[in-house]
Amino acid sequence: MSAPRGSVVERGAQDGSRMNADVRLSVEQVSYAYSPNPSQAPIFTLEATSFQVRPGEIVAVLGPNASGKSTVLRLIVGALQPLSGRILLNGAETHLMEARARAQKIAMVQQESQLLFPAKVWEFVLQGRHPHGKSLRFENSDDVTIATNALRQVGADHLSDRWMDEISGGEKQRVILARALAQQPVLLLLDEPTLHLDIGAQVDFLHTLKKLTAVNRYAVVIVTHELNLAGEYADQVVLMQKGKCLRVGTPASVYQRDLLEQVFQTRLTVEQRVNGRPKVSVLESSE
Amino acid sequence: MQPLTLSKVAVRCGILALVLFVVVVIALKFGAVPISLYGLAKDLIGVLIGHSSNISSEYGMIIREIRLPRIALGIFVGASLSVAGTSFQAVLRNPLADPYVLGVSFGAAVGSVLALIIEPHLTLRPEIAAVFTPLGGFIGATLTIAAVYLLGRYHGDIDSKTLLLSGVIVGSFFSAMILLLITMLPSSSTRGVAYWLMGDLSTPMPPILGWVLRTGFFAGFALIYLTASDLNLLLAGEKEAMHLGVDVKKVQLVVYLAASALTGLAVSVSGSIGYVGLIVPHLMRMIFGTDYRMLLPASAFGGAIAVVIADTMARTVAAPSELAVGAVTAIVGAPLFIYLLRRRLA
Amino acid sequence: MGQKELKRARGKFGVSAGMSATAFLLLLITMALPLQARNQKTSATTLREVTDETGRVVKLPAQIGRIVSLAPSLTETVYALGLQDKLVGDTEYCDYPADATKKHKVGGAINPNMEEIALLKPDVVLVVKSLNRLETVRALEQLGIPVYSADPHSVIGVIESMKRLAEVLGAGPAGVELEQKLRDRLTAIQAKLKDVPPKRVFFVVWTAPLQSIGKKTFIADLLTYSGATSVVESQQDWPKYSLEEAVRLQPEYLVFASSHSENVRNDVEALAVKPGWSAMEAIQKRKIAVVSDAINRPGPRIVDAVEELSRQIHPEVFAEKN
Repeated sequence: MSAPRGSVVERGAQDGSRMNADVRLSVEQVSYAYSPNPSQAPIFTLEATSFQVRPGEIVAVLGPNASGKSTVLRLIVGALQPLSGRILLNGAETHLMEARARAQKIAMVQQESQLLFPAKVWEFVLQGRHPHGKSLRFENSDDVTIATNALRQVGADHLSDRWMDEISGGEKQRVILARALAQQPVLLLLDEPTLHLDIGAQVDFLHTLKKLTAVNRYAVVIVTHELNLAGEYADQVVLMQKGKCLRVGTPASVYQRDLLEQVFQTRLTVEQRVNGRPKVSVLESSE
Repeated sequence: MQPLTLSKVAVRCGILALVLFVVVVIALKFGAVPISLYGLAKDLIGVLIGHSSNISSEYGMIIREIRLPRIALGIFVGASLSVAGTSFQAVLRNPLADPYVLGVSFGAAVGSVLALIIEPHLTLRPEIAAVFTPLGGFIGATLTIAAVYLLGRYHGDIDSKTLLLSGVIVGSFFSAMILLLITMLPSSSTRGVAYWLMGDLSTPMPPILGWVLRTGFFAGFALIYLTASDLNLLLAGEKEAMHLGVDVKKVQLVVYLAASALTGLAVSVSGSIGYVGLIVPHLMRMIFGTDYRMLLPASAFGGAIAVVIADTMARTVAAPSELAVGAVTAIVGAPLFIYLLRRRLA
Repeated sequence: MGQKELKRARGKFGVSAGMSATAFLLLLITMALPLQARNQKTSATTLREVTDETGRVVKLPAQIGRIVSLAPSLTETVYALGLQDKLVGDTEYCDYPADATKKHKVGGAINPNMEEIALLKPDVVLVVKSLNRLETVRALEQLGIPVYSADPHSVIGVIESMKRLAEVLGAGPAGVELEQKLRDRLTAIQAKLKDVPPKRVFFVVWTAPLQSIGKKTFIADLLTYSGATSVVESQQDWPKYSLEEAVRLQPEYLVFASSHSENVRNDVEALAVKPGWSAMEAIQKRKIAVVSDAINRPGPRIVDAVEELSRQIHPEVFAEKN
């Protein structure tokens, strides 16, 4: 089968072993559009996009601003309803799930937390247990155990008794991750989690994430515009621009110089390193 | 890690109930007419056992017929306002929210004032005449709740920012209307309105209103308490709450309606007593923390205690004259609020 | 769990169970608290039904032995009818006659203290619609205390109201006598003023903002008996009036009600130099009439007020007779 290079279909056709029933999240030809007001024609924020995520796999949705990355995430988590196509989590459509049931399976990690009143770290992480059990609930010892474990897994259990507004940005991001882990999800979604972190914290975070993904067999979708982080830690990359999905594949196969230059509108070089991971460097305009 | 447990909540509520009980006993003792604690104890036991009809002492009559009903009214009004204020602070995600920020009290005031204007021109049966003004107030409150909700929707759903805006606008509109209506009132009624606007517990209620207020409070409180866990999550952010499985729009709607109903009921019978719904939640937060599973009942007790104390002061400070309860809460509440604000900013 | 832990757990459980029980018990008691006063059982004296001036039907004992008055005008009426020994309580503002200040005070007219009133065990509480609140009336009714409300709107209305009150209180003959005396004095004044054109006056309730009285008020009626008419045409009771308009109307007299005429004259001096006010002829010529605040009390002294006012604005008529 020779499908044109660079097309979405290529990926599925090339690797027959990937097309088995082990897929946890399946995004199938999903698109989204909205009208700001009734008289205007709808704007497409996302055109037909497809990719799959398996347990233990990290998929990075990559692209510049306004490329539709966040829309993908919001469609997966059920905040938006797809215009066409469907999103299946273990075979069930996500936006049809009841909110509570969905939160037991899908956990979202966002950047900052806008707490209205001060809260302790352990209180914050314990919130992750909310989807399990009845609406009005008092946490039991199991909840405490799970939350403690989650904190330990992200390496933040020494922060347990601190106040959320006292800890550093990197620490806070790990605590937010811990809350998501406390939900005991099967799918982890992360929306630009490294945006406000310094480079050391970024690497720490992604390293921890990769380790946990392998150990706990999460399916992970992470939205980012950081080329090198995605290149280093993601198993698959979904490259987006202006709502269109341009390519899906391993970082090595997606990071082609012409393609990246076209998407990110800047001159750069791509170096394929020994470990199979590409490294992208931005060029000075004079070079 | 020590999460809140139901028994912890119960124990703390037990302590608060005890405090309320002591406050009630003290309030019963104070008044324009001096009463001995011994006589008081006898009368109280009599009321509890239900032999109240056997008590023939004059003081017993005053305790039973005047002070006790008034204190009971203060308890439910204070509890309603505090719970409403606590709830609005979560739904609107604004620590400065109080029960009146969404205009309910002004709508109730317009309803009551209109009832006062219309009443002389109608011949009403005495049972209806007695509840006519509070009924007008409650109808006004209900219409305001509906108007604010309809205006406060965003794309068909309830939205905290739009709700706050619409509440403030509707409230200021009704507030202006009240001033206009007052000039139309015969002067004998305007005095009553001034008291009502300040908040006044001195008017005893007909029995049916008492039952409505009491059951309304328990029903409203129960509805809100069922969402307490959800409210805790809402405090962390609307999106985050949604991602954690909270049906944000439904919770906001239920709490908005229940808290507004609590406010409407309280205001219809006692006028707009200020500062209680704003300060008591913050005070309770300082003592018990921000977990709404504890904060909601704590606010109820705290509000009851606050209003009973304020009303006792209103009755005794200038005896035999009476101050309006709202005047006392304002005089005490305003400096207290400034103090709390500065602590928060520090 | 070890034995010790088990015991501790049980202990904790006991404490919390106990506390919860207390809370629950107190909750029950709160539910049982009476939110309304039950009507006092009236004693077995015979009752008669009377309709007061607001149309309410009031059940009173046949003999009235204890009266509480919640308005200064009604206190004065009680004294004028010779019933002061039966007056067991009045308001802080009841200051006429001097003896009234010695009576037991139950608070203000607008916010009287229910407990004080109840303690006095009155047979009837007297209120007047123009001063007292409907809430006060309802509160007293709930306690089983009868309330009689007067509601006069004119000078003759006041006189007749007092006569009616006298009958209700069991002092019919005194009421008739009072009525007669007052009517005679009024007739005498009318006779003097018969051929004299009424003076145009502006009754000043308040100066800043300028406030006067409406056409339908009791005071407006009283002015006509004094040979005066109010220049203010308004259906409101206490209309605010623009100073320019008042100046344009150029009333012949300004009428003030005050218990201290000295203060009024000082205030007028201060007004005379203010812009706007200085353009008013009545200010320039110092044509000021000061009436005691009896004019504000629809009671026995209204005729005093009429006399006082007519003496000041028609000096020539009364100077002759003196």
